Amino acid sequence: MARFFRRRKFCKFTAEGVKEIDYKDLETLKAYVSETGKIVPSRITGTKAKYQRQLATAVKRARFLALLSYTDAHQ
Amino acid sequence: MRHYEIVFMVHPDQSEQVPGMIERYSNTIEKDGGSVHRLEDWGRRQLAYPINKIHKAHYVLMNVEASNEALDELTSTFRFNDAVIRNLVIRRDESVTEESFIMKAEKESRERKSRYEERKAAEAPVAAETPAEAPAEETAAEPAPEAASEEK
Repeated sequence: MARFFRRRKFCKFTAEGVKEIDYKDLETLKAYVSETGKIVPSRITGTKAKYQRQLATAVKRARFLALLSYTDAHQ
Repeated sequence: MRHYEIVFMVHPDQSEQVPGMIERYSNTIEKDGGSVHRLEDWGRRQLAYPINKIHKAHYVLMNVEASNEALDELTSTFRFNDAVIRNLVIRRDESVTEESFIMKAEKESRERKSRYEERKAAEAPVAAETPAEAPAEETAAEPAPEAASEEK
């Protein structure tokens, strides 16, 4: 019987008590964006819904300002 | 009066105009009794993807407290100024004055670069000394390949 023990997911933002996710904080945002540039779903990262919503707007703002890319297919 | 966060991107060829633009925009905000709480010039940055076949842009971040009229004026000047590639205006609940993450990251990388250059400069005299020793090593090393060929 193969039993996998997955490490418990946790929400980094809840743990740190982040007030608001900043679209300028690229290091943090990059951790929640896949290699292809998609936003990673909260069911995988374990981010709480409140922060996932903030994360989505932050990533979208960063994309608009060309701080993050929309896709890896840009030239 | 409300708090806003404004980011605008200027065409890299029009980069010299940026100080003038900042001053003009600050004036339009302040003449209505508003104030600029944070002003950051991020300089020319690489874009994550090309916009209008441009790969770099000059970014400016402003956190301001401005009246509705001043902001309307500002957004319309952004629209009609060809040098401004893109602009983003966000409403904020309070004034933000601390340094932004991008400025922090930029400073860090600049520090790292200067440290790297210092180390390089420190290594340079050592590198200048080594050539003097190198010929001696070369003469010592030369017989070895011959010995290797003889073995074959």
